[in-house]
Amino acid sequence: MNVAITGIGAVSAAGRNLEETLDTFQQGNRNVGAVSLFSTSLSYPVFEIGEIRGEAPDGEMRTITLALCAVEEALLDAGLGSDLPDFRVGVCLGTTVASQLNDMDFYRNYRSKEPVSIRSIDRYLKGNLAEAVGRAIKVRGPSVTVVNACSSGADAIGVALSWLRSGVCDIAIAGGADELSQVPLCGFGALGILSDSICAPFDRDRKGLNLGEGAGVLVLESEEVCRERGKAPLLYLSGYGSAADAYHLTAPRPDGSGLEAALRRAMFEANIHAQDVCFINAHGTATPDNDKIEGSVFRKIFGRDINFLSSKGFVGHTLGAAGGLEAVFTAGALREGWIPASAGFVHQDDEILLSPVREKTPITGRFAISTSLAFGGNNAAIVISRGPMNESGAQDRGSA
Amino acid sequence: MNVAGIGVVFAGGRGIGILEEALRAGWSPPSRGEVSSSSGKTMPVYSVEEKTIKDRAVLKNMRRADRFSKMAVLAAWDAVKDSRIAINQEKASLGIILATAFGAQVTAFRFLDEIIDYGDANVSPTLFSHSVHNAAASYVASALGNHGPTLTVTQFGFSFQQALILARAWIQEGRCENVLVGSVEECGAVMEFICRQKLEIAEDGRISPFEFSPSPLAVPGEGSVFLVLSGGDGPKRYCELRDVFLDHQSSDAAPDIRILDADGMSDDETCYQEIASQDVMIAGYSPLFGSMMTGSAFHCASAALMLMNQTRYACPVQDNPHGIRLCTSTEQKKLERIQCVKYSCLRERAVIELER
Repeated sequence: MNVAITGIGAVSAAGRNLEETLDTFQQGNRNVGAVSLFSTSLSYPVFEIGEIRGEAPDGEMRTITLALCAVEEALLDAGLGSDLPDFRVGVCLGTTVASQLNDMDFYRNYRSKEPVSIRSIDRYLKGNLAEAVGRAIKVRGPSVTVVNACSSGADAIGVALSWLRSGVCDIAIAGGADELSQVPLCGFGALGILSDSICAPFDRDRKGLNLGEGAGVLVLESEEVCRERGKAPLLYLSGYGSAADAYHLTAPRPDGSGLEAALRRAMFEANIHAQDVCFINAHGTATPDNDKIEGSVFRKIFGRDINFLSSKGFVGHTLGAAGGLEAVFTAGALREGWIPASAGFVHQDDEILLSPVREKTPITGRFAISTSLAFGGNNAAIVISRGPMNESGAQDRGSA
Repeated sequence: MNVAGIGVVFAGGRGIGILEEALRAGWSPPSRGEVSSSSGKTMPVYSVEEKTIKDRAVLKNMRRADRFSKMAVLAAWDAVKDSRIAINQEKASLGIILATAFGAQVTAFRFLDEIIDYGDANVSPTLFSHSVHNAAASYVASALGNHGPTLTVTQFGFSFQQALILARAWIQEGRCENVLVGSVEECGAVMEFICRQKLEIAEDGRISPFEFSPSPLAVPGEGSVFLVLSGGDGPKRYCELRDVFLDHQSSDAAPDIRILDADGMSDDETCYQEIASQDVMIAGYSPLFGSMMTGSAFHCASAALMLMNQTRYACPVQDNPHGIRLCTSTEQKKLERIQCVKYSCLRERAVIELER
């Protein structure tokens, strides 16, 4: 079954919608700065979103507001609005921050035996990301929040693909969202993987990641539903692969075999070969381990000439949103026919022996891949294509 | 899908044999939690004893893991051993889906303690990495040496049911041959406080599933259940998991027994009355496990055991003010089909249907 992408939505430090984001990519702007959303003694630079469009309902989690911004844009792009109730619409979103009761004010009061506001508990209990978004847009269908750390957004898109293929729903809204929060800032700081300067994915002198925030969402539907409602697909979601390292809680498997397995599974599902892939939007966190392993796996599977980039140089590491945002950027690039320079890259690393693209690069192929790696050893890859598979399951590999 | 193996960790102990013993033995009172600062009282809690989660052989590489991860790993390990499936490291044929409502919140609050007590720059990286929801599933994959897709999902309504739906999709599309699906919840001091704030607590420790009360009583619980689910050709040690119905759908065939997830976690359980008033035998075993958002997993395991053993187990608490047809005695009976029914706080319904 061909699964079409009919809507795309994104909000991040690079832009409040996809158009603004692509403009930022084109200009090479990097909206990085000090933390302003909460007070902290840590001085690591972050990619915050300056202003979220629209008024958030009182007490709504910032992550939900971000998700709804991206969902609204994606639904508009897909031409879906008042007709949503006519379909079984699933919502599958990844997050990390919104899944936890990390309310510092609540917990400080609880510890000090001060009266505790029940509002923060209620806000959490009403704040399951997929359920909250499903309620807000009034859809009926499956809803589930994926909490697979930094691959959550990509895995959520994979879940939606499985739902559509097995007929669980007609349309799926999938991706990820996360707000900047004190808790992961402290946690990543303690792990020693935050950079005290602007991040440089895949660069020889990279020192670590910068945290960010945002949401990236795709509207997915079967070709049959597209036809039924007269909507032409923008692109196709052709494959998803996922594999566990089964190795370490925070470090990736040194031989990259988990990532390799995820990539090979995604390409198998899309019925394509390595030479069919025109570019990869890498996870590319700018930590020494991640980029070294990802680069070596890319070289092994795709060879030295593969075009790839990390968009984290523009938006930071948005954790549970990353897989969703990067799927959106991959789809946007395929649609526009170019990829931006991999922001922050200057010097090739002798241990990687691959360089991401250094300038805006035109792309002409049909298939692109987005990869995600996560704490816990999760690896995920998705394949997005410009055309559907034919009836025999083979991909049309002709140039676009 | 076939239910090929089950692993359980709960207040009564560990293992499918212990679960069967508990179902036969009936109700036993819970332990008491810490004294609450707000009420000055202890709370009844079905907590898992530390000795239950001591297993040096299985947990040998998990010295720093928290209780949440240990409960998950032990239940998952037991389910795989019970199923007798082989983990194929090359084929990645086993998928893992862990469902939880609250995740490793005890560890998450310990991490917040560090931020408050020591400052942003002096926190424990180990606590942080264990506070992430998917740490437990990662430990499960490592303990089993399994490289298949590994996912953690969360929802307050029907996270276990959603995990089952996804497991079926994975098997149907050939992503895996078998899927290890489970739930984990942990109860700690902050969760007890939240329960005290949000729920009516049964101070005598008895959950009464058949009161169908507009203000039902809960006894917080914790534990983990995992099921190994296989495709049509896979091993079928227990039963077939035929379907999961959401949105008030249901199959046409009447079950022999309907197990109700009424455990006091919803603010109104009157909705269960409409499904209990029909001419079907009713059961409910939450008084054995305690109240949990993912309590359906324990009922699903109980139903699978009943179908395999062709035995219906007496309800542990039999208060029956509405005179419904309650399962009051443990006896061998021909059982073809059992449904596990849960209503969410929003009165949405989910039905898991299992068949012999």
